[in-house]
Amino acid sequence: MPPDTEPVLLRTKGLTRRFGGLLAVSDLDFEIRPREILGLIGPNGAGKSTTFNLISGFYKPSAGELHVFGENCTGRSSLAISRLGLVRTFQHGSLMRSMTVADNILLGTIHGVKGGARRRERVAQTAAMLGLSPYLSEEAGNLPHGLQRLVSIGIAFAARPKLLCLDEPLTGLNQTEVASTLTVLERIRDEFACSVLLVEHNMKAVMRVCDRIVVLHHGQHLATGTPAEIRADRRVIEAYLGHRHEH
Amino acid sequence: MDDLKLPYWLGGLVLALAGTALVRDAYIASVVNLIAIGALTAVSLRFVMLMGELNFATAAFVGIGAYTAGATLTILGWPFPLALLAGGIGAGLVSIVFGYVTLRTKGPYFLLIGFAFTEAVRILYSKSATLGGTSGMIGIFPPVALDGWMPTFIVAVSALLILGLYALERSDFGKILTAIRDNENVARTVGLDILLIKIACFATASFAAGIAGSLHAFANNVISPGDFSFLVAAFALAYVKVGGEDSIVGPLVGTVLLVVLGSYALGLGGGEHIFYGAAIMLAVLLLPRGVTGLAGGKRPQAGGGH
Repeated sequence: MPPDTEPVLLRTKGLTRRFGGLLAVSDLDFEIRPREILGLIGPNGAGKSTTFNLISGFYKPSAGELHVFGENCTGRSSLAISRLGLVRTFQHGSLMRSMTVADNILLGTIHGVKGGARRRERVAQTAAMLGLSPYLSEEAGNLPHGLQRLVSIGIAFAARPKLLCLDEPLTGLNQTEVASTLTVLERIRDEFACSVLLVEHNMKAVMRVCDRIVVLHHGQHLATGTPAEIRADRRVIEAYLGHRHEH
Repeated sequence: MDDLKLPYWLGGLVLALAGTALVRDAYIASVVNLIAIGALTAVSLRFVMLMGELNFATAAFVGIGAYTAGATLTILGWPFPLALLAGGIGAGLVSIVFGYVTLRTKGPYFLLIGFAFTEAVRILYSKSATLGGTSGMIGIFPPVALDGWMPTFIVAVSALLILGLYALERSDFGKILTAIRDNENVARTVGLDILLIKIACFATASFAAGIAGSLHAFANNVISPGDFSFLVAAFALAYVKVGGEDSIVGPLVGTVLLVVLGSYALGLGGGEHIFYGAAIMLAVLLLPRGVTGLAGGKRPQAGGGH
């Protein structure tokens, strides 16, 4: 199969995953483009986490295809996909609690960067960008929640991925922390030409920072568009936003 | 790489070697040998604990090392240095195959497989006529030139390997091991081949355990299947737990303490096994971070302490 020639970082075709009788993700097509922050949203149980695990190789698709950086990665291991340059975080505890912040970030550099001095330089650079420089020698598990979330991003970003996939990085952050994290995401996109896939429940933040948004509902693709288009989409309002407005 | 505190290590090593040079009593020499071999075994066990696994197969690899050294020397007629090294390499090679199959499991499963492997290998020795069956192998002698210097030699070889494992622990490789213990999935997502790293850790530790077995064979001149039951790993675990597992100094302190006290208890006619069992229980209940944890007050890498 010839590699895709279009400038698309990731593309799924009919991606499907069944768990027994449950169709968690069904016939999903979407793509992630260079230099964009793509939001993946949907109500609980919409299939966001399953999609996340499918594209990072943690689940194998029941049907459909996954293309990452022009290569057919359907059925490939999480290790193979991460080595292509797709790095993900986890929703809960995406860091090493007993290790210092510096050693946590260092972990992200080991595969890609050779030589101790260059690794430490990368760690310092990454920490500076995330505002973690003052905490480098602290044990990560002792840090406040907001900083731990940034360390998780730091580990992943230290690998300098081409596509950074973040699983609910804003959960539990206060307004200031949300704002500074969004700024970090924009800098990752603009200064490092790295695309970001953002799975997030914080709708205000998603609408503010994302270039495009994909909406899932009951494991199916519901809509794709800019934040303005998504906000105006009647199906989305009914399925998702409307439901939230009832609260 | 972080500061290895090399001056302290070298100072301690010179002191230990100078001490062994003074040993002329055969009983004290045997206690010194026990300490050095026990410490190397305990450090090997702890090296796999760095990545979060309790490796009861340590006992099997000590045995494989001892039998490989014994067989290559007495049956194949290999020279002493080669037979010594063969013990480590033999154990290392077997551990690569064993690790490739078993390191996909974790926790209690991995522990039980190691336990079963140790007992299975022990039965193999006792069924093999070449390896002397249940009565074992005899005549595993070091060169005459080492007569009277075995404690010095054994302490030197053990110290060299312990220092090597310490350097590895403090390197980026050691940090990957801690990361695997803390959160294996995160390590996998940044492009690290977890299985390969686990096998590398396991094989390195098993090489050291194999050399401990070689040294055991040359120190005692006689080996039998009974020497290499799971108790070898249980004793090593006692050394680690009593000494403290946070730093590599822990198993060293624990070994010295328990071997010396155990030898004393043996003189009283008491069962040393009960003694070791009690030591593990007391250490776990009263000193969760071991004797060195008492002295240090906080973990070596902790930023603030508690």
